[in-house]
Amino acid sequence: MYTKNKTLKYLSSKVSLVVTLILTLMCQNCADLDEDPTTSQLAPGQFTSLEDFDLGVTGVYGKLRTASQWTTFFVFGWAGDDITTHRALNKAPFREYDQMNVSSDNPRSLSNWNDVYSMIRAVNTVIESAQGLSVPDQEGYDRLLGESHFLRGTLFLHMTRIHGRIPLPLSSAPDFEIGLATQQEVYEQVERDLLLAESLLPDLYPGVIAGAPRPNKGSAQAILSRLYLNWAGYPLKDNTKYTEAADVAKKVIDNHPAHGFELLSDLNDLWKVENRFNSESVWTIAYSNPSNLGNRKYGILGYPSDVEGGWSETFAEVRFFEDFPEGPRKEATYRTDLDWKNFQDQVQPIFTKIAGPQGDLPSQWSTDRNDFYMRYAEVLLNYAEASGRSGSPTAEAWEALNKIRRRAAGKPFNTPDPSVDLTSGDLGELAFTERKWEFAGEYLRYNDLVRMERVADALSDQARTPLDPNISLSNPVVGSLSPDNYFAPIPQIEIDLNPNLDPDNN
Amino acid sequence: MKQMKKRPWGKKLFFSFLLLSCMSLSGFAQNVITGKVIDESGMVIPGATILVKGTTKGTVSDFDGNYTLEATSEDNLIFSYIGYKTIEIKVGTQTTVNVTLTEDTSELEEVVVVGYGTVKKSDVVGSVSQVTSKSFEDQPLTRTEDALQGRASGVKVTRSSGQPGGSIKVRIRGVNSITGNNSPLIVIDGVIGGDLSTINPSDIEAMDVLKDASATAIYGSRGSNGVILVTTKKGRGKAKISFDSFVSFDNIPELLPTLGAADFARIENSSRARVGSPAIYSDAEIAFFEENGGTNYQEELFDQQGMTQNFQMTASGGSENGNINYFLSGNYVKQTGMVIETGYEKYSLRSNLDAKISDKFEIGLNLSLVRDETENDLNSFSLFNGRKIMQAATWDPTTPVYNDSGEYNYFSLKSVASGTINPIAEMRESQINFLRNRVDINLNAKYDFTDNLSYALIVGANTVNTKQERYDISISKPDATYSGTDNTSYQISNILTWSNTYGKHNINATGLYEFSSSEYSQNGYSAYDYLISGSFYLAELAESFAASNIYNKSDIQSVMARAAYVYDESLFLTATIRMDQSSRFRKDENTGYFPSLALKYSFKKWNFIENGNFLSDLAIRAGWGQVGNQNIAPYSTFPSSQIGGTDASYPFTGGTPSPGAVPEGYGNEDLTWETTTQTNVGLDLAFWNGRANFTIDGYKKNTTDLLLNVPVPGTNGGGFIPQNIGEVENYGYDITLGGYIISNDNFNWESNVNFSYVRNEVVDLGEEDFIQGSFEATDGTQSYWNIIEKGEPLGQFLGATFLGTWKTSEATEAAQFGRAPGDPKYLRDDSGEIVYQAIGNGTPTTFWGFNNTFSYKNWDLNLLIQGVHGFEVYNTMRGTINGPQRSFMSPDQLNQWTPQNETDIPAGGQSIIGSSRFVENGSFVRLQNLAIGYTLREIGPIESLRLYASGQNLFLITDYQGYDPELNTITAVPEDRGNGDVAAGIDAGAYPNPRTFTLGCKLNF
Repeated sequence: MYTKNKTLKYLSSKVSLVVTLILTLMCQNCADLDEDPTTSQLAPGQFTSLEDFDLGVTGVYGKLRTASQWTTFFVFGWAGDDITTHRALNKAPFREYDQMNVSSDNPRSLSNWNDVYSMIRAVNTVIESAQGLSVPDQEGYDRLLGESHFLRGTLFLHMTRIHGRIPLPLSSAPDFEIGLATQQEVYEQVERDLLLAESLLPDLYPGVIAGAPRPNKGSAQAILSRLYLNWAGYPLKDNTKYTEAADVAKKVIDNHPAHGFELLSDLNDLWKVENRFNSESVWTIAYSNPSNLGNRKYGILGYPSDVEGGWSETFAEVRFFEDFPEGPRKEATYRTDLDWKNFQDQVQPIFTKIAGPQGDLPSQWSTDRNDFYMRYAEVLLNYAEASGRSGSPTAEAWEALNKIRRRAAGKPFNTPDPSVDLTSGDLGELAFTERKWEFAGEYLRYNDLVRMERVADALSDQARTPLDPNISLSNPVVGSLSPDNYFAPIPQIEIDLNPNLDPDNN
Repeated sequence: MKQMKKRPWGKKLFFSFLLLSCMSLSGFAQNVITGKVIDESGMVIPGATILVKGTTKGTVSDFDGNYTLEATSEDNLIFSYIGYKTIEIKVGTQTTVNVTLTEDTSELEEVVVVGYGTVKKSDVVGSVSQVTSKSFEDQPLTRTEDALQGRASGVKVTRSSGQPGGSIKVRIRGVNSITGNNSPLIVIDGVIGGDLSTINPSDIEAMDVLKDASATAIYGSRGSNGVILVTTKKGRGKAKISFDSFVSFDNIPELLPTLGAADFARIENSSRARVGSPAIYSDAEIAFFEENGGTNYQEELFDQQGMTQNFQMTASGGSENGNINYFLSGNYVKQTGMVIETGYEKYSLRSNLDAKISDKFEIGLNLSLVRDETENDLNSFSLFNGRKIMQAATWDPTTPVYNDSGEYNYFSLKSVASGTINPIAEMRESQINFLRNRVDINLNAKYDFTDNLSYALIVGANTVNTKQERYDISISKPDATYSGTDNTSYQISNILTWSNTYGKHNINATGLYEFSSSEYSQNGYSAYDYLISGSFYLAELAESFAASNIYNKSDIQSVMARAAYVYDESLFLTATIRMDQSSRFRKDENTGYFPSLALKYSFKKWNFIENGNFLSDLAIRAGWGQVGNQNIAPYSTFPSSQIGGTDASYPFTGGTPSPGAVPEGYGNEDLTWETTTQTNVGLDLAFWNGRANFTIDGYKKNTTDLLLNVPVPGTNGGGFIPQNIGEVENYGYDITLGGYIISNDNFNWESNVNFSYVRNEVVDLGEEDFIQGSFEATDGTQSYWNIIEKGEPLGQFLGATFLGTWKTSEATEAAQFGRAPGDPKYLRDDSGEIVYQAIGNGTPTTFWGFNNTFSYKNWDLNLLIQGVHGFEVYNTMRGTINGPQRSFMSPDQLNQWTPQNETDIPAGGQSIIGSSRFVENGSFVRLQNLAIGYTLREIGPIESLRLYASGQNLFLITDYQGYDPELNTITAVPEDRGNGDVAAGIDAGAYPNPRTFTLGCKLNF
């Protein structure tokens, strides 16, 4: 009896245990083991609408602005004979370019490399995600696709002008073994992208303000003219490309009203912050300082500490200033209101193009100024130079040069004026010289020197030493001026991570 | 957990009554003897057994410690209570016999929490370090992490900074993971996922640190970094109220030497003369500085008296029958930092209630509420160009804080020295407040089905709300940002325990079903460019706005089984297995099994021990186990994109930007957890009946399938791809030696030494020999100051090798590189490029603590010395001061290179901060705590009053030239790549540890 009782008790306790456990576990939910990231994230992959596509393209612009907001974007410009930097302070990365002694660990090269290639990844993703998207608005689709190719081609060109041979990633999937393309391949890819952009983009991008903040057909053609000038010069020196450069520039000129392109009549207006969207820019990179999307290249970065506590990054070279032909263009290019010869920090003239016209920019290092990535003036001068160098200096080509000369002299650019107009001589060379003054301080000069192999002539100590005996030469060249030192080395860390990027391995 | 075993008390009570009822009368005259039983601290001891020697007569003390029994004058009374030394007193003529029982360290049944259960300390098989409240209660503490520091072997606590409310790093037996989190798992009263920084140290009864895999495997995929089990206090017995208050004064031990304004100006002129620039300072200006001095921005930054005020109140007790117990505590901490405008405030409240509903059913509820607010955490400011501390040490001494009209000079008037905004202006004008509310609820219930079988349920839930309010003047016009987060988690654990004894065999089995879930969300806005200056709460003044959102959720479910077998208190065997399923991995990869096995043999029963006096126990242990680390962000297996923000929006019209989307994470659907396999062998020795103990553990652990964020080269778009690649190994040993050196009625000296040695090595990195580091240089060079190298420990410093200066005799060679005599010279390769390679390591190999408690009558003294050795510190702070990033700031410069005196202090040229010139030995010995106290007893209603004074960080012995070699490395972009451990030992302006003096009192009623 006793035993039975115990057993029963034992059993009943077991039963109650099991029941309790089952009840307890039944009341409990099981864990949810399937993740669903779409609540808070956009799923990458194929676009399903034009809005999707537009979001992606805007993202590419966002990446572009991240890259272009810093002076690093144009750091190769310091190698030109127009721009210099502080002799000391923390400007060594700029001095390396200024002195033609760029090390492979130059941080400015690296950060520009990373920013631009990050944008390339984004644009590749967009191009892939747009494949197979079918929407009723075919024009809208073409526009966005053309814009994507424009951005990729233009930025590949930007990078090859700094480094020469570059890698050309064309897929969003990382290729860890990617090698350097040849110079020919680089130009061909840029041409492919820009020709596609030219065919897909409209004459005028609908709904945008002046200065083509979103590119149109003319913007693509303008950049193409820049490409062909490079192609015709060092290192490939394919002279046949001058004709193509002239032809494509001519197309822009012929259609410039349709594209909304025109010179401003007064150069002084060009650099005012209120004119940051203007018809002279064939493609504008836009900024908005109040939205924390400011431009960090201008303002006090162009002053020494003597003026508004300047940051001493971008100065004008003394000799270039001394050689600069007097006239309204010089006045519009430099801040002649400043007593620069008595600066205590460093004796250099100041660029209006950097520091802004007197009283125009706030005393800040981040501003609202836009970048005129390419001006219509360059299209005109590309046309003039390419026409001259390809042996067809037409009257229209002379007229293109003279428009720039007239405005430089403070005259109406469309009215022929024998006192400034040129009609004879070596048009190519005359246009080349005109560019020197017209684009001083716009980070373009060094590339002109490279493509024409004039680096040694322009950058020798003799050529740069100030005429004023009281002023010493800032940042004299220490590196080689021969073509093997024209391009900046590819960042060392990239070569360490992927030896295929070492030019010596290719 | 160190506590009196409850069951024996009940049993003794029962036996005592039995004895009383069976009492036989003896022939001597019986007197009624009364008295009171108390312990050393004056607390009454209820339930103590009082026996008349040689008889079966006896009684137990009542709830107030009083007893009454009859005895003759010839009788001896024996007083005993579990955990206390038994004493014998002859009755003689006394009718009142009051006794004070003293604790018996050998007999005290210490209990160790091992996760999902407890075991007797003697039965612990794995490697566990225990820190009980007794060892730290005499140190004034506001942080629980500090209680661990120097007190547990194998546990390295890096109290990194004097930042009030700042983070403190805890690492157990080295670091395993390169990308994942290396913080140990914190389990508070059985609930996973606690936060040591929010728990009040006064509420802690004990912390048990599970170190080896045989102990941590029961926590499966979350156990690989070790587990700290925190047990909070419980009430018991008579009501007790205590009040504890202290105030501390914090001061910076010393400022770093920098040049005064006049010397600074002269050196600046001389370095400009070297490049043909005119003098930027006139003689008149230098003479002015000579006369009036300049501004030392370090002094300006540390211009606040650091102070901590701590108030603590505790009430605890239980009902007379012991069925309802309570522990209530409230704590308030207010800290003022040494850096201006920094501070911290914390309120916390805890209520631990236990109820015994019946003999079989117990239920408890622990509730904890914490609210804390950190004001201007220096790590929350933009870390570009280093922290404010680095900026202040390198800021232009010739520019005053204010100009003549009383406004801030926001930038250097001469554009020299640090290019950052005036750090004083930013500290004063900007405001970054971080507020956190945390609620923890822990409901636990236990039901005993039989004597052998019980079921326990733990339901833990917590919610953490934070908000950061930020008003920032550093970029042109003021900006404000707000970020609010909500993190709510719950855990439900069902634990079934069965145990039985068959003769000499004891078996204990535990089964677990557990699941948990965590949901996180963040919302915020940024308000850019205030039209007029204001404060955070005037964000409506901003010109533009941006929004941010994050949401994620993760779940884990687990089953665990443990079996423990003990034979004759000699052979101990424990085997466990846990299965985890985590939502962070895809279906095919989300299930992991984590087994362990541990064995121990004690020679206690062998003759040579049982009969000897010297050795009282000798045990050997061995354990093996596997644990995982699943600590990656939710959704890491999916590719992701970024919407909007500065990188993905664009102002086509120059005004309001349009949002865009850009690809971000690459995703990796094959991802799974990293696995750590650890083998541990140990030896435990006890001497003189437990008066002294010695433990040594040797271990080797290998972490494979590392969750590694493999960087994608910039060419391919940058960022990283998380992958399971590579292996990290840690091996080393932990030693603990402790005991009572002197123990007598008036004087006690308890001493405890722990020593740990750990070697770390990256064994494998897949196909790579190295991986780019995570710590981006603060000098704008875009380089990294650390690197992860195969075959080397984590924490490698990357930099150039400094070779002194170019000498005049080397002018021609120098010119090839564009350098001149007096410029710094670095090691170059064959092609003339400067070589960047590993130049030091910041991971310490050796750390130890030496804790001593002395008591003499009413006096007590605590002395804790701590040492850390075998590592270097990358003193980039000194590098930046020595410059020149822009200007030379160091007094070293007064001895700089000149053509006449060619020293190795460069006079100009391009210095590299990330170079071997600034790698220093980091080893140090610190007097962590010195506290002296005096206790008064029984003054009116006050049971005891302890007054104490103490000092922390009173001395620091080190060759390190910075503020303090003990520091946490904070990367500028912490989420970028890797964790702080791969960049250990980089001093980029760490908030120095203060020297602290404290006065306090502790009252018990």
